[in-house]
Parts: sequence; C-alpha cells; structure tokens
Amino acid sequence: MRHAPYELAAEFDRRLGDPSDAGRLFSHARCAALDDREEFPQEICRELDVLGLPAHYVPTEHGGTLRSYEEAVQLMRAVARRDLTVAIAHGKTFLGAVSVWVGGDRDQADALGAEIAGGTIVSWGLTEREHGSDLLAGEVLAERVADGYRVSGEKWLINNGTRGHLVCLLARTARDAGPRSFGILLVDKRKLDPASYRTLPAERLHGIRGADISGIAFADAAVPGTALVGPEGGGVEIVLKSLQLTRTLCASLSLGAADHALRLGTDYALRRENYGSLLIDLPQSRRLLALSYADLLLAEAVTVVASRGIHALTGELGVISAATKFFVPNLVEQAVKRLAKLMGSRALLVGDTHEHGRFQKVQRDHRIVGIFDGNSVVNLHSLVNQFPLLAKSYRRGTVDAAGLTAATTLTDPLPEFDRDRLTLLARGGCSVVQALPAGVAELTALVARGEVPESLERTAIGLKLAADELLAAIAAQRPAAVDVPAEAFDLAERYTACFAAAAAIQLWLRNRATVVDGPAGALWRSGLWLEAALTRLLGRLRPARPDGTDDVFERLVEPLVAQHEAGQLLSLLPYQQQEARR
Amino acid sequence: MTTPKQDTAATDTAATDPDAIRDWLLDRVAFYLERPVTDLRPDVKLVEYGLDSVYALTLCGDIEDEYGLELEPTLAWDHPTVDAIVTLLREMISGNR
Repeated sequence: MRHAPYELAAEFDRRLGDPSDAGRLFSHARCAALDDREEFPQEICRELDVLGLPAHYVPTEHGGTLRSYEEAVQLMRAVARRDLTVAIAHGKTFLGAVSVWVGGDRDQADALGAEIAGGTIVSWGLTEREHGSDLLAGEVLAERVADGYRVSGEKWLINNGTRGHLVCLLARTARDAGPRSFGILLVDKRKLDPASYRTLPAERLHGIRGADISGIAFADAAVPGTALVGPEGGGVEIVLKSLQLTRTLCASLSLGAADHALRLGTDYALRRENYGSLLIDLPQSRRLLALSYADLLLAEAVTVVASRGIHALTGELGVISAATKFFVPNLVEQAVKRLAKLMGSRALLVGDTHEHGRFQKVQRDHRIVGIFDGNSVVNLHSLVNQFPLLAKSYRRGTVDAAGLTAATTLTDPLPEFDRDRLTLLARGGCSVVQALPAGVAELTALVARGEVPESLERTAIGLKLAADELLAAIAAQRPAAVDVPAEAFDLAERYTACFAAAAAIQLWLRNRATVVDGPAGALWRSGLWLEAALTRLLGRLRPARPDGTDDVFERLVEPLVAQHEAGQLLSLLPYQQQEARR
Repeated sequence: MTTPKQDTAATDTAATDPDAIRDWLLDRVAFYLERPVTDLRPDVKLVEYGLDSVYALTLCGDIEDEYGLELEPTLAWDHPTVDAIVTLLREMISGNR
C-alpha cells in the first residue's frame, strides 16, 4: 500500500540525503556538533527553506502547499527523526502562524502565507515569566490609540523570540482580566521602532540546546491596527482553538524521536554481542526492544488518527488534541527510557565514541515535547473539564460515523479542513472512544470467522470492560470547578489510554485489507500490531499477570527485524528510509 | 451567533419563567463551586466566584441539555453573570416559540 502523506515525507527525506553521510548538510555529525556548541542550526534551517518546507506550513487556500494536516505531521516527523532541535526551530513558524489560519481574515492570511513561503520566521508569543500556562493572567498590554496599539510588557521562553521576524502576540486589550480581554496582534518586528523593543538572551537548556528559546520585551511599541487578528477580545478563543491543532501536531515530534531512538536501539541489538550472543537473542534485551516497537506503533496509530481527525472530526478536536498531546509524548518518553536500558552505557556517551552521542541527545531533546503547547497537567485538566460531556456521550454511544470512518480509513480522501467547525465545546464528546464497544464487537465477529486469534479478542474485551468501568467512574466524578481532586487527573490519564486503544482498533479494522505486503503486511495480518498495542494498554488499565502461553511481543520481533533489514522505517506502513543500513 | 435547535428538551411553561431559569442556573453554578446557593448573587460575575473561563464552557453544555438550545460555548464569556445569561435565554426561548 502506498499512502500519500508517507510518500511525501519519504520523498522529502530522500532530498535531505543520508544523515549518516557527514558530507550532507543535515547529517547526524553536524547536528551533534551544533548541539555540543549550543548553536542554532541556521544552515540546516536554510536548507529546509530551499527544499520548500515553509510552504507546507501554509494552507493551499493561502498560497502554500499544506493540503492536509496528516501530511504536515509526517513531514515534521521526518525532520524530527533527524534532529528534534531542527524540527522545533523550524516548525515554530507554523505555530506562530496558526492563529492567523484559525482567526485571521483572508487578506491577512494570504499576506502571511506569502511571507512564510519566502522564508519569514514567525514566533508565537503566549507565555510570560510569571505566568506559564495561565494565559488569562498575561500582563502584556496592547493599549488602543488612534492609529493602532501601544504594546508594553515581556513575553518569555518564546521559541524563536529573537530570530523571529514576526511575532504573533497574545496581549491584553482591556484593563480587566477575563476571557474577552485579550487580542492577538501579528507584530512585525522589522517595522517597529528599534528603541521600542528588545529581545531577551536565549536561555541555556538541557535539551534542544541549539534552539532560540528566548523572549521579547516591548516598551510602548507602536503597532498598526491592521496587526489585529480576529476581533478585539477574541484572542483567548483563537489561541485555544489554535492549540487544538498544534497539540495534535506535537505528536509528530515525539514520533520522530521514537523513530530515532528505536533505530539506534535496533542497530545496537543486532550488532552487539554479550555473553556470546547478540543482544537481540537475549530474552531480556529482545523484550525491551519489542515493547518499545509496540509503543512506537501505538503512538503512530494514535497520531495518524488524530491528525486525520483535524479534518474529519474537527468538532471533537478539543478532546482528541488533549488526549493525543498527553498520551503520545508520555508513551514515547517511556519507550526511550526503556531503550536506554537496552543500550546500557552507550545511551550515555557523548561525542564520537558511539553514533555521535545521538541517544543521549534524543533523550534530552524529547523532554521538552511533553511540556510545550500545554504540559501533561494542562491537557489532563482540559479532559477533566469535559468529563460530564464525555460520560454522557459514552453512555449514549454517540458516534459521528462518517467523521470516524474518514479519520480512520487511509484510502478515503480527507475532507477539507474547515476552521469554522473548531469549537471549545466538543458537543459530541469523542467518537473514537464512543466507538470502542462497536469496534470490540467487530473484532469478536472476526474471531468467530477465524480471522484473528482469540488472544486478541480476550484483550479487546478486557479493554472494553476497563473502558466501561472508567467511564462509569468519570460519570460518578463530581464536577469540581475550583479544586480538582488528584483522582480526576488519574481518570483523565486512563481516558487517554482508552482513546489510544479505540483509535488503534478503528485504524486496524478499517485498513487491515489494504496493508498486506512486505514486513508491514505481517504486522497487520491477524491483528498482530493491534494485539501488541492493546496488550500494553490493558496492562496499564487493568494490571494482571501476563499470559505466559503466548507472548505477542515475541511475535513482533520478526517484522521488526525484517523492516530494519529492508532499510524501512519501523512503522505501521511501508516507508523506505534514506539512511544507509549497516 | 446563537441558533435555536429543532428538538426541544424542556421548553415547558416553567422553563420560560425567568425566576425558574435563574434558580436552575444558580443551582448549577453553586453545584460547580461547591457553595451554598444562598451565597451567590445573580448579578455578580461568575469569574469573581472562581468559576474559571474554561469551566464556563461546561455550564454551556448543561444549559444546552436543559433547554434544548445550541449556544456559543463562550456564552458565559460574553454574558458573565447569571442575570445576563437568563436574559439571553429568555430571548432565545421565546423567540423559538
């Protein structure tokens, strides 16, 4: 099967060349050296500009080449797989622009699209030194004057805060704090009086050390009225909607990191001998590798469904994005940690001794993904706030059938993204989760026909019971507007696991007949990857003694090695990698 | 900005009575805030009681269910007191008849 977003990403990867070739601009060697010097990857970013990546941040209706957010996710994953610092440094322009795609008028968006395609860097100024995730506490003030605004105050920990030409700023447009007291200003730093602003020094970081995470301080900066994006007072609403998109897209960074770490782990396990055996033949190492592969495939399945959901289940994105932004980075962080055990001391080496110290770098770099655009607590809290709706919709079994089919059927064309369908209240709850019982029933029917093993059915039924119990507990949870009890966060975390299980089931059901060839086909046959993913999730939701008679993770090792040996990405879908195999 | 939905859940006579709407709404808010309803005044901004802007979205979902209306989720942002919401709902419900 050929899947267009994967083909596009593979082609982009091909044009970047083999990263293990130190003569290439975007090579592992160069990324390691830049990290060592804490230096911004300027030349690599310029190369990405030349290859046309910025146009992929601009929707086609505004002159760019962003046809679907699923494509954007796979492209960013390909960049992140080489280097997270580069992906975060370059991809920031999309984050800076998204408020305009969501809330701007046509002329504004067209003009910004042309700027970005021409290489203009855009940053997103949300957070302040004293107020991290609490956007409503923001103090940067945009005071209305005759010809526009006078902006004062400081935004801090802003990605590309110094390098950005434009900054999309959330600023108070009213004195009283409140959800209608903020507006968005697309501030063009190139046109400001240089005396009216200054950029703050880049902070030194644990990971993504070369990135420009700095800030900007305004002092009575004159900004024209035309910089306003959407209505005055519409800033918070636009930002919250924009975050639904960016939180979903963040999963691409985690996937890229997982790709990178798992490849290093697999390479190592296939070459390293201990006690007279290759690591891959030692039961414990073999299991660490297979579990990490299962996690990556699950993270990939969730990301594919979520990114297609931007188009197909737009009205439910408030739930999907929060669940994805919590689940995928957390799962990948655990997988990387597990792979570090497999790698042993090699996971800690810096410098040229082992693979340019790539493992410790990817592990450090990935830490940030769980934090920006809403950290774990913010995303879980967002789900807690939606508990009454989620419980009610699950009980009623509400499912947007057409939307769910489009989000999960890879051969179906995606509907155009319609920003007017973004909403802060997911009235339908989450179709993916609400379709879990129906999906499990479908699996049961396939078992009856002998198409999938009974072990998959047992796992799926276990998950359905876990989901029923969880949603009953969520329904019984007393809504609390002020002090949210800790157990509510625990329930929300479990909800994200149900979301992941339900997404995986739908994705497998809708595509099992299409992905049949090669090593990827072996993953789909008999529901192998699905069973592995669901077994992981059931282990979280209902911890129990593992079934000793059949080890699904053992069955995963063969396709893992086959994909690796064929030079393919370790993935649910066939994807030829550019990197030379050793 | 707000569009009445076809199905009507609870638009009986009592529902259009402003006092009844106000009492129901105050009860909901008191429930979320875990405070006695007698503590709350309908002309005080909900945020001042600590009902944050995100939670106001949940309140919108409740009102939709109770009155069979489809509202802007940001209803309580633009109508920040119980009284303001009641006024809006009355207009919508009577306009819907």
